[in-house]
Amino acid sequence: MKIDNSLPLEYSTEENRLKILGFWIFLGAEIALFSTLFTVYFVLVNGVGNGPSPKDIYELKMVLIQTFLLLTSSFTIGLGIHAMRLGLKKAMMTFFIITLVLGLGFLVFEIEEFITYVHEGATIQTSGFLSSLFTLLGTHGLHVTFGLFWGTAILMQVKKQGFTPETTNKSFIFSLYWHFLDVVWIFIFSFVYLKGLM
Amino acid sequence: MKQLFPVSHVMGFVFSLVLSLVALTVVFYDMSYAMGMTILLITAFAQASVQLLMFMHMGESKDKVTLYTNIAYALFVGVFTILGSLLLLVWDI
Repeated sequence: MKIDNSLPLEYSTEENRLKILGFWIFLGAEIALFSTLFTVYFVLVNGVGNGPSPKDIYELKMVLIQTFLLLTSSFTIGLGIHAMRLGLKKAMMTFFIITLVLGLGFLVFEIEEFITYVHEGATIQTSGFLSSLFTLLGTHGLHVTFGLFWGTAILMQVKKQGFTPETTNKSFIFSLYWHFLDVVWIFIFSFVYLKGLM
Repeated sequence: MKQLFPVSHVMGFVFSLVLSLVALTVVFYDMSYAMGMTILLITAFAQASVQLLMFMHMGESKDKVTLYTNIAYALFVGVFTILGSLLLLVWDI
């Protein structure tokens, strides 16, 4: 395997470069996936039937906490990748752990929000609006959940093997995934919650 | 310690927070629907760009042309799906 030392470790081999490109193509497909879910939400948002409307159930405080947690986690994983490029294993691992803890915090608040909704009688079966809302938020939340397991697995590999072309490549790809989830959240925050409360 | 917090990343983070606060104004101030949506569209896409370009190091790969094309195409598909559906099913033009 030819290793090009002029590049960051995660790009250093042909295989690594192609894996990163491949992951970007996957993210393109994810954009299409979330676009369809946003479409369903935008089409059905006024179909509230006898159930609550967006204004009735959205709670700004909960949303702001989730936004802040996810935004910060996206920042810390960026710092993690920066530390990785400096070859600082301990700092990189610390930033990744902080990221995963913030992700877990996000998830706790999201589940709490879902429970509140259901207690208020707003379930996935209540109306078209709520079906599309739970599908959109649930798909995003599922991605975050999967990310927590994935990130933990990568951390274990970094701890055992240190920085190699393989582990740095995996960490970098995971950081792309995590930033992407934050991008999706920005759109949920803006066009689901803020627009709903406007 | 200082080398762990590159200025560009910190600035990107602060910028994201500021943009979130600007987006929040649509809830607290009385404004027209068009005005509110304009603010949300600008702040959301600006924040997404910060993530993609600054944090995801989009421009530094050798494959960046392929990469930009791919993401642009995905966005095209996404925007068309959303606007096309709204046009047919909601706006009723």
